[in-house]
This record gives sequence, C-alpha cells and structure tokens, in this order.
Amino acid sequence: MAEEIWQKRQKKRWLRLLRSGDHEAFAGFIEKYKETVFLCCRRLGLKEHEAEDVASETFMAAYRAIGRYSGRAELSTWLWTIAYRQGINYLRKNGKQGQLEAEPDEQISDSREQGPAAAMQGRETEKIVWDAVERLPRLWSMAVILYYREEKSVVDIAKIMQIKENTVKTYLFRGRDRLKQVLAAAFEKDIDDGR
Amino acid sequence: MAGKLDDDKFDEMLGESLRRHSEPVPADFTERMLSQIEKAEQRRILARVVWQERLSLAGCVVFGILAAVGVAVFPGRIAGVLRGIAAGFAERGGAYIDGVSKSISIEAVRSEWQLYIIFALVLGFAAYCVLDMLVGERLRTA
Repeated sequence: MAEEIWQKRQKKRWLRLLRSGDHEAFAGFIEKYKETVFLCCRRLGLKEHEAEDVASETFMAAYRAIGRYSGRAELSTWLWTIAYRQGINYLRKNGKQGQLEAEPDEQISDSREQGPAAAMQGRETEKIVWDAVERLPRLWSMAVILYYREEKSVVDIAKIMQIKENTVKTYLFRGRDRLKQVLAAAFEKDIDDGR
Repeated sequence: MAGKLDDDKFDEMLGESLRRHSEPVPADFTERMLSQIEKAEQRRILARVVWQERLSLAGCVVFGILAAVGVAVFPGRIAGVLRGIAAGFAERGGAYIDGVSKSISIEAVRSEWQLYIIFALVLGFAAYCVLDMLVGERLRTA
C-alpha cells in the first residue's frame, strides 16, 4: 500500500516535470514509449525511414502538446492517439491511405497461401503469433494489438483510431477469429512435422 | 499445441505472446530526438525574439507615420499640445524642472519649421527601421 502511494507520487512528480518541459523527464518519456510509437507506425504499414520520420513527428508533437495534457486519459493512450493521427496524416499526404482499407478477403487468401505454418520451422510461439497478427488487415491488427498487447479498452481504442466502438468490436472479433484459424493451422502443422 | 487453441486459453496465449514481442527501435533514436527537440526549441526562442524586434520596429514606424501625418494635418494643434506639455512641466515642476522647461524654449517650438525638423528626424528613423526590417538581415549576411 505504501509502495503504491509512493509510486503514484513519483508518477505525479514525473508528469509535472514532463508538463513543465523538463528535458530529462522527456528523455525518460521517449525511452519509455519509443517502442510503442514505432509499433504503431509499422502497423500502419510505414516503411523503415517513414516510420522513423513519423515517430520523430509524434514525439515533437507530444513535446509541444505535453503542457496541455490533462491527465484524463492514460499517458500511453494519449501518445497512441498522437502517433496514430500522425501516421494516418502521413499516409493521406502521400496518397497511401488505401493500404489501410485493403480488402480483408484478399489478405485472407494471401495469408492462407503463405501461411505462418509454411514458415514456422524453428520459430517460437511468440514469433508465430506475431507473424499471424502482421498478416491481418492493418486496422484489424492495430485493434488486436491495442486490445491484447496494450490492454486498452474498446472505448480507448475507438478514441485512438477515431472510429465507432462497434467497429472496434468488429475488428477485434474478425481479427481474433482469423488468428484462431491461422494459428490452429500453424500449430497443427507443427505437430504434423513432429516438432 | 493445437489443443491449447480453445476459447479459454486463446486470449491468454495471444495477449502473452504479443506482450513478449519487442519492437526494434534505432539505437540512437532517443539522443537524436532530444537534439532535434533542442534545435526546435532554439528556433522557437529565436523566432520569438525576431518577432518581438519586428513588433518594436513596427511600433516605431507607425509612430513616425502618425507623427508625420499629425504634423501635416494639424500643425497648429500639435504645437499647442507640445506647448501645453511644456507649460505643465513649467508650472508643476520644482526649480530643476522649471530650469529644464525654460531651456526648451516654447517660442522655438511654436515656429513650425523647427517642428518639421524634429519630425523629419523621426521620419528618418522610421525609414531606417523599415529598411532594417525588410532588407537589413540580408545586407548583414551578404
């Protein structure tokens, strides 16, 4: 209990420093969340140099806006929202937003053809799962990652992705369903191969 | 393994696997980001100083123009105002201020050509401000 209170105080102090524009606190902030931001950028289908540019833009935008961060949303949710918007804006500017709305059916057939099962020799479960998630349509995989990895609520995901809650639920349902199929096939293949 | 993919275990397995994934990040990203922020901060401060300078110069220009227009349109009234100010100093001030007000001859201010000289100086200064604002930086860096 005492440790929990201490941690809360530390977090409050850190947030106060962040809001005041303290460089050291912001360095800690970048260190803590850079993986998350790159994850968001790459899930939107940005190439390596594009992901780096958008990640930089995201942190610059966060630096400019941190003074106005109210603390109502979790800091990670707030940053996810910025990163997602920066990524979407980048795709729009470069006429690439179509890659977000790719027909799921086409991607299903692609994933089934390539299938993680074909390439799973010697890989660990996490790698297989991650490969399967990467093969989902981008918006589905984004929703799945936010829900299962980042443990965000449907309401938060809807805010981050600027879509309706029902759409989030649909993405999650379809994504999960697809993953079950793909992973079941992958693991069965694993057993058949005698691993 | 396939048996593990039932509904009860699936979410747990999915969450755990995804949380274990670590996303690669360029090694010096934090340092580069911090130096980018520092540069942006410096640019922001510099831009603010430049704007402040420009505002003050614009103030001088506007003041000069207003003064010139005032003298051209209401020369008598301007002279009257200046006379009033000087008279106020002379009345309310002590011996020192009284001396100063006497050294600035109200009679001299009254004659218009002197007033025009003063405003010509103000206009000259305003013109200098405008030139400095528009091409000064270019001339200095050339």
